[in-house]
Amino acid sequence: MTLEQFRQLAETWGGDIDRWPAATQDAAREMATGEQAERILGEQLRLDRLFSLAPKMDEGRTGRAGFAVLQRMADADRKLPWFRRGLRLSSLLPATSLVCSALVGLWLAGALPYRHHPPDALSVVSMVFDSSILSIGGLQ
Amino acid sequence: MAAVSARQHHAFRILMGRHMPRAIRVAQRIVRDSGEADDIGQEAFLRVWSHAASFDPDIARFTTWLYRIVLNLAFDRTKRRPHAPIDEAVDVRSDDPEPVERVIADEERRILEQAMAGLSERQRGAIALFHMEGLSGEDSAQAMNLSAKAFESLLGRARAALKENVQKIQDTGRCA
Repeated sequence: MTLEQFRQLAETWGGDIDRWPAATQDAAREMATGEQAERILGEQLRLDRLFSLAPKMDEGRTGRAGFAVLQRMADADRKLPWFRRGLRLSSLLPATSLVCSALVGLWLAGALPYRHHPPDALSVVSMVFDSSILSIGGLQ
Repeated sequence: MAAVSARQHHAFRILMGRHMPRAIRVAQRIVRDSGEADDIGQEAFLRVWSHAASFDPDIARFTTWLYRIVLNLAFDRTKRRPHAPIDEAVDVRSDDPEPVERVIADEERRILEQAMAGLSERQRGAIALFHMEGLSGEDSAQAMNLSAKAFESLLGRARAALKENVQKIQDTGRCA
């Protein structure tokens, strides 16, 4: 590596050789022991420090931005048509449990034997007697 | 990120708390306007939420994916904008005495912000990713959707232009 190549790499990638492309690092480290190379790196490191300054941000700013995102998500949810809202898991849960209960009921109705007691003679007589009381022109 | 893909709000809030500052920082470096940078940060996370299922950790890290979203949004805004803002909003100074280090840092920040104004938005993006965010050349290239060689060239031009602008500001007090 020549000093000119070293300078070009330093001007592109900065004063920290560890951040240069891996293929150039070994040769650059050998070169960096020289006085001129050290000066080049020192100058680039000063620029690196300046270039790495971040814009000033007050503490609450990111929190406010995050809160605004959650609000926009909630607004977008409210604007969804009812059938799209209904398709979400949280909305489907009550409907699914109702359908499941109905299916279990139907299955039980089909699976269990139907037990019906035939009416005895007394109840038939009682039914006829009672209904004749209520009718106009009945026996009594 | 897997929990965010599974639509878990709690995981999304944690992810946002952790990464929102970097999204806003990078956006502000490019668009040079704090209000617009906040909008971009918000929009970026809405996209993260709505496109979480398409994120593949085998292809890229989450931060690289986020930076790419932020850069695309920021570049779109600067394209649509009829003119660049003259200067970033400056904090109101109080009369309280400030430590010397902070005064120097503020002055350096002001010089850098002025010098960055003379760069193209892609050059500002390269400086923000490589220097401010400390990404490697490879990760920066991936976030900018560039080849390693193209990123190297972009970064070299950006540094040269920025160095020249800083020099001019220090000599004359203003950028040409």
